[in-house]
Amino acid sequence: MVGSPVLFIAIPLLAAFLIPLLGFVWKESVRILPGLVLLYLLYLSLTLMEQVVHTGTIVEVIAGWAPPWGINLVFSPLTGLLTTLMILMGFIIWIYSYRFKNIDFQEAVKYFILLLMLITGSVGIVLTGDIFNQFVFIEITSISAYALTAFYKGRDSAEASFKYLMIGSLSSMFLLLAIALIYSQLGTLNMADIAAKAHLMKPEFKILALIFFITGLGIEAEIFPLNGWAPDAYAQAPGPIGAAFSGIVVKAGVYAMIRVMFTLFDVAGTHQFLIVIGIITLIIAEMSAVRQEHLKRMLAYSSIGQMGLVIVAFGIGTEEGVFAALFLMLNHAIIKSLLFLSGSYLVYHSTGKYISEVDGIARNLPITSFLFALGSIAIVGMPPFAGFWSKWSMLTAAAHSNLILIIGLVLSVSLIELVYYFRVLNRIYFFPKKKEVVVKKPTINALLAMGLLGLLILIIGFYPDSVTGYLHAASQSLLDKGKYIHDVLSTGQLLLP
Amino acid sequence: MHEIIQITWGAIVSFILAFTVGITYMGLNRKITARIQNRIGPPWYQNFIDVIKLGSKQTSIHHGVMQHMGPAFIMVTSVMSLLIIPILNQNRFFPNLNFHGDLVFLLYIMVFGPLGMALGAGQTGNPNSAIGVTRGLSQMAGFEIPWVMALVALMIQYKTTSIVDLMNIQVETGKWLMFSSPFAFLAALLAMLGMFRYAPFDIVGAPQELASGPMSENGGKYLFVMMSAGSVFAFAKLTLYVDLFMGGANNLIILVVKTFSLYLFPMLYGIVSPRYRTEQSVRYFWGWPSLFGLLAILHAMFF
Amino acid sequence: MIYILFSILLGGAILTFLANKISGLLRDTFFLLTMLGATLIFYTQLHIGGLVNFSIGSFNLEWGVNSFSWYFSLIVLGLGTLAAFYALSYMKGKENLGFFYFSFLISILSMLGIVMSHDLISFFIFWEMMTWSSYFMVIYSGKNVQKNGINYILFSAFGAYAMLTAIALVYANIHSLSIVEMISNYGQFSPALQTWIPILFLMAFSVKAAMMPLHVWAPGAYSDSPMAYTSVFSGALSKMGIYGMILIFVTMISHLPDDTWFREVFAWLGAITAIMGTLWAIAQDDARKLLAYSSVAQLGYIITGVAIGTDLAMLSALFLAALHALFKGTLFMAVGAVERQTGTVKFSEVTGLIRKMPWTFIASLLAIIALAGIPPLGGFVGKWMLYESLINSNHYILVIAIFFASTSAFLYCYKFLFGFFLGQEEKEWAHVKEAPALMVVPMLLMAGFLVILGTFPGILLKPADTAMQTLGFAPTEGHLWSMSVLFNAWGDQVLLRPLVYAIAGIFLFFLIILTVKGWKNTRYVTTKDISSSGEVPLEHENLTFSVNFYQPFLRAVGPVMKHRMITWYREFGAGMETIFDFTRRIYTGNGQTYAIYVMVFLVIILLLQNTIFG
Repeated sequence: MVGSPVLFIAIPLLAAFLIPLLGFVWKESVRILPGLVLLYLLYLSLTLMEQVVHTGTIVEVIAGWAPPWGINLVFSPLTGLLTTLMILMGFIIWIYSYRFKNIDFQEAVKYFILLLMLITGSVGIVLTGDIFNQFVFIEITSISAYALTAFYKGRDSAEASFKYLMIGSLSSMFLLLAIALIYSQLGTLNMADIAAKAHLMKPEFKILALIFFITGLGIEAEIFPLNGWAPDAYAQAPGPIGAAFSGIVVKAGVYAMIRVMFTLFDVAGTHQFLIVIGIITLIIAEMSAVRQEHLKRMLAYSSIGQMGLVIVAFGIGTEEGVFAALFLMLNHAIIKSLLFLSGSYLVYHSTGKYISEVDGIARNLPITSFLFALGSIAIVGMPPFAGFWSKWSMLTAAAHSNLILIIGLVLSVSLIELVYYFRVLNRIYFFPKKKEVVVKKPTINALLAMGLLGLLILIIGFYPDSVTGYLHAASQSLLDKGKYIHDVLSTGQLLLP
Repeated sequence: MHEIIQITWGAIVSFILAFTVGITYMGLNRKITARIQNRIGPPWYQNFIDVIKLGSKQTSIHHGVMQHMGPAFIMVTSVMSLLIIPILNQNRFFPNLNFHGDLVFLLYIMVFGPLGMALGAGQTGNPNSAIGVTRGLSQMAGFEIPWVMALVALMIQYKTTSIVDLMNIQVETGKWLMFSSPFAFLAALLAMLGMFRYAPFDIVGAPQELASGPMSENGGKYLFVMMSAGSVFAFAKLTLYVDLFMGGANNLIILVVKTFSLYLFPMLYGIVSPRYRTEQSVRYFWGWPSLFGLLAILHAMFF
Repeated sequence: MIYILFSILLGGAILTFLANKISGLLRDTFFLLTMLGATLIFYTQLHIGGLVNFSIGSFNLEWGVNSFSWYFSLIVLGLGTLAAFYALSYMKGKENLGFFYFSFLISILSMLGIVMSHDLISFFIFWEMMTWSSYFMVIYSGKNVQKNGINYILFSAFGAYAMLTAIALVYANIHSLSIVEMISNYGQFSPALQTWIPILFLMAFSVKAAMMPLHVWAPGAYSDSPMAYTSVFSGALSKMGIYGMILIFVTMISHLPDDTWFREVFAWLGAITAIMGTLWAIAQDDARKLLAYSSVAQLGYIITGVAIGTDLAMLSALFLAALHALFKGTLFMAVGAVERQTGTVKFSEVTGLIRKMPWTFIASLLAIIALAGIPPLGGFVGKWMLYESLINSNHYILVIAIFFASTSAFLYCYKFLFGFFLGQEEKEWAHVKEAPALMVVPMLLMAGFLVILGTFPGILLKPADTAMQTLGFAPTEGHLWSMSVLFNAWGDQVLLRPLVYAIAGIFLFFLIILTVKGWKNTRYVTTKDISSSGEVPLEHENLTFSVNFYQPFLRAVGPVMKHRMITWYREFGAGMETIFDFTRRIYTGNGQTYAIYVMVFLVIILLLQNTIFG
């Protein structure tokens, strides 16, 4: 065994603690250390992932308290996949922002600590097998996210952060309520245990708890109408953090919600609910995106829309549907991060981040513009790029379940998406450049990060087999509830004597 | 080889016949028009004199290759239609190329010349020519509709697109198609007004406005060939109508009688009327004539 | 071999793109070599019936050539190679050439891919590649990108998504993506699927074939692309839509119990497309727009032929498809030549080029004669077969509609030739020279082929017939056509050879008479030496008639042209934008509102919990 899942939590927390201390010794270490940590974790998660796909879920018990009493971490193909994805995105974002706040050392320390906390929290949400522990991780993530949103300390970013905070605290409240309800009924906080005993719960309490979960986690997963905070937060946070939100944080939120709905409770109608709420989110978000004047806001709405699509795919509920949903999540993480990263260079020096300021910028920023174009084409699902395969698997899943209407809706919304992305592309490439716009050339490391993402888009696009195997394993693992319960609880059995 | 000589011989004889008759008709047209308008008018053989005069002119000018070739284009249409349209029933005259092309081919070869000549007219650089051409093309888009409707009605009624077959049917049944397909005949007859471009449809030449339109800038040998082609084409068209609707003709005298009586129709239709405007002319053909054409098709489909 | 063909094109595209950074000559060499290499391999190495397959993403991809796809590859590669030569000269000195040649080669690759795909997923991938590579061309000039570019990509995506839906439905039902299996299992689909799958596919194909009411992208896209590519765009790329349509009509629609409905609707849509395309072409002053509308119209004829679907109709559709590539390719190239030499494409600006650009004129003249369908050129053969097939299959009103369209087509045909080449020769254009040989020769080659096809259509009807046999039609040689004879279903015939010889003989005879008679006394005078209302125009006075050319005719058809599809779409788009603007306001930017949203959401779910989680 190369390492245990607990390292995913422990190492970055330790590193976050060490960063300011090491900073006194050697300033550069503040920047290097997070990268080393993430690189190691990436290696770890990849090896563990390989192992898990072949030999089965790893359940790590913390402090010798066996489930269902203690806290445990579950590294299943599903959680492993998401962990790997998040750490990969974290690593790329680290490369991108290596030179972030180059002059202002104190700010850089804060930034890297918060970034690491954000990643740790999100990974924790995914890995944990304990519902209260999950709540704690959600809080860790949220608090780092609030801080990062307000990072620039401007009027707008403070306002955005405050909105986020306000809605986020509502989320915490509902989550606590839900957890309390469950604990009062079942006396356990272990997810597998809850899942095994869910039938003992009174139905009305069960549904009430579910509704609180949906509301609480829906805020994190950006479903409509709970996502009011999102556009502001995306738009005001630093560029790489926008990428982190859409590539890491939201994914964790969606995971938590899906875990609750698929594993914890077995309530009729959840799938239909997911489909309906996903469709509404998708349509409203994409429609709002068209008329946006700010580039990052447009990307934010597009991101929300994509999450709606993911939720619809989960709502289909078949293995194919889950597969499609995970594939969509994977591609969305990669592509939308690329868009955020390259997009923030396109409007680097602009205060308003207006779309009209990207006019003709391709002449000055050929590579960044090209990558932005690649991302745009990929995200609207044009073959032979990554986005096509996920959209395709989504459509076949829907077709298999005879949800023809969904296909129609999803594709019509894609048309809207196409329009606003291509409008921006046309501006970038063909409009005369505005004189007053100052262009910021991307640094080498930023180019490297964006190039990596672009490469991933091409790899998945031309050779989707490179990821489909893991996705299949992950989707099976999500749907096989019995195996999850057995895996977690049997670990306890082994340890008890 | 024998066949080629046969066809060439037939072409020459048909041409001379058509030329003579066509020019005579045109002369008669001038005479009759004049009498109606209470003038004395030129003698009936005036057009012969004109043609001979033009043909014997020594000098001529042109504005380029296309104009130079224009009369040859129009001649192709005249002679080709003459060769494809049977002149008398059951090949009593020369068979020419009667069996080689059908009605659709004829329709298309009939526009070959006018378009070629239009190019020549365009090259002259005279604005009147171009205006005349646009008017002519517009009018063609007008009258072709009832004309084609009539032909399609005949085709579907008798399940053939061959002129010879249509003639044979009339000979066998002894019944003219103008009686068995009355609407088709009406439509075709009205379309004929556009084909002959006499008043009130004389918008192409329009002597007072366009100074003879596409023909202006042509003189001497060019006008000579054009006039000859025009008269041959007129005869060919009249023969086609006789062949299709009036049972053909068994000898040349009957042919002349039938064609001339048919010729009176476009000649007299609007002799005292003022000229239509182009859009009026176009709309005219899309009105009643096309309605008759439609009726003809319905008649052919259901009866 | 297909691998090699595709890798040559793909590799060549990338190499050309990269070589652009090094030297222009290297880039041009790579480009030409790629095109020639692909063509050479296609004609010499590829044999019909060969099949390769491999799997990707758990799908089995199959590529192969049959006679049907061979026929369309012929169009693509034939036109593509000539356009490539033309492009070398036409594009000289323009910007972003690497990008242009890259997109050019990719679109050739994707078209070949489309016809060679034997499974739906690679068909779709190539289809989309074709869309974006041609989109690059539409936006290449950088003009009207926000309007025409978005229009094009939006309509293409609409079609592509319709197709994607159909493919997903097929896959969900038969768990296979093979086109052959889709066809063989088609009979087992539920009735609803049996109707919807072909409809969805046809939506995709009619977008590319620019059929009413999905044609509105075409005029803008065709006229905005560089002319060197537009010849391929209109000549070959639109034929991919026809390719798909034929496939769907033959393999699916003909198995439907109520296929007559389908056929009638599509045949009429084709005819209406032809009529409206023609009328709008007549109204244009921009030569590129005129040809663009004319392309829409010509594709309308082909669609009608496909929809009717009798063997004569299908033969005419296939023949017209290849012919349209030839003459519209030539004409777009001619416009490109005029544009390059004079800098304008407006009929009202340039006149009297005939003596300056004689070869371009000859090529255009022949192409226009073929387009108008006038004997003795190839166009007549296609038109004849179309009319006869319509009459033979009892579509009497339809044949009138088609005839109206093609008679009205004479108007814009004349306008094209007159506008550029005839009329008064002006000093302003005295400096204009004939286009370079690299541009003229491809045009003349295609025009020459049109002349040959007029007498010997069998050259092209033979492969078309073989292609139709692949689709399950009975052989038609001998009873519908032979090398230079055409027959209709009633046995009436047109013997092309004697007719063409007669036409040529009469023409030459009178031409000689005209030339020889008074040879010495015939003189050439300039176009300024005319009599106009009794006066001779001065040197600087331009009397060419070119503004409001067909005003009376357009007045006559005015009521029909009052309604434009594009205004409807525009209004629809504007309405949608208003809605989008409204939804945008849901996000007020006010934190309290958002908190209220959360609470409202909670309350609604709580109230509806029994309905939702019942």
